[in-house]
Amino acid sequence: MQTDLSFEQVVRDHQEMVFRTLLRLTGSREHLDDLAQDVFLRLYRALPSFRGEALITTYLYRIAVNVAQDEWRRRRRDRDSHISLSDETSGWEDRLPHPDRNAEQQLEEREFQQCIEDQLQRLSHIERTILVLYHQEERSYEQIAYALGMPLGTVRTHLHRGRKRLREALQQRQTQERRATCANH
Amino acid sequence: MREPLNPEDLSQSAMEHAMEHLDQRIVRALEAAPRLQIPADFAARLSGQLPARRPVSLTPRHYGQYAMLIGTVITLAALVILSLHSTHPTFGLLESLLFVQFIALAVWLSVWRYGLR
Repeated sequence: MQTDLSFEQVVRDHQEMVFRTLLRLTGSREHLDDLAQDVFLRLYRALPSFRGEALITTYLYRIAVNVAQDEWRRRRRDRDSHISLSDETSGWEDRLPHPDRNAEQQLEEREFQQCIEDQLQRLSHIERTILVLYHQEERSYEQIAYALGMPLGTVRTHLHRGRKRLREALQQRQTQERRATCANH
Repeated sequence: MREPLNPEDLSQSAMEHAMEHLDQRIVRALEAAPRLQIPADFAARLSGQLPARRPVSLTPRHYGQYAMLIGTVITLAALVILSLHSTHPTFGLLESLLFVQFIALAVWLSVWRYGLR
């Protein structure tokens, strides 16, 4: 069937972006396949009323954000409050290669990356989403505003606030680590 | 002669430098895309699970066009009948109204047909 073939192509073209965004937004590899499937099925159902091929990526971001939000709600319902990237099904940051660095630097970078992931999951859903769409997915303010259905100024505010909260949390953590090191010596 | 460096200025500059460095690290970490393990058959498997969709007819029906055509014919017939039996002055007004309607329908029909080409 022609429609299915072309839809399969749409999935192929966008699957990496959808998996990547969902992984960062949910903070876990658990059920990632199911969530990605949900995103594409929602897109398939919405396709008859879809206008403008150029916006399919933005449209997919909007669906992915909604699916991630539903997943968070489900987890909250299940009282699964322990959300971390350090579980066995996760830990994608461990597989990031740093070929030009020595082992100590690599370890430090991994720890920092892990810390960022942990802090990212502590932000509000909207702050996390905007940080991921802006930094990881390199979307513009306009695209984020369209995908999330909010004014441009609100996107800027949340981005600024999210980065500030992330920085403050990391500074706090660094201070605590320094104190702990001093106490040990 | 250079002024001696103020230790407070030094510590502030060091703090700003550290802050900038931290910001850069945060942005770098946020920009690092995760490595993915997407099943090779994901797209094909998903396409196989798609719900059946009612086939969409690509042949236009042109119901409006037929209605316009019928309306034109009826108006024309009414005009002919009225012209044959128009003895009363009221019929003259009715005839004019029908004639205007007929012209409007004919123009609309021809423009619409032209647009379909």
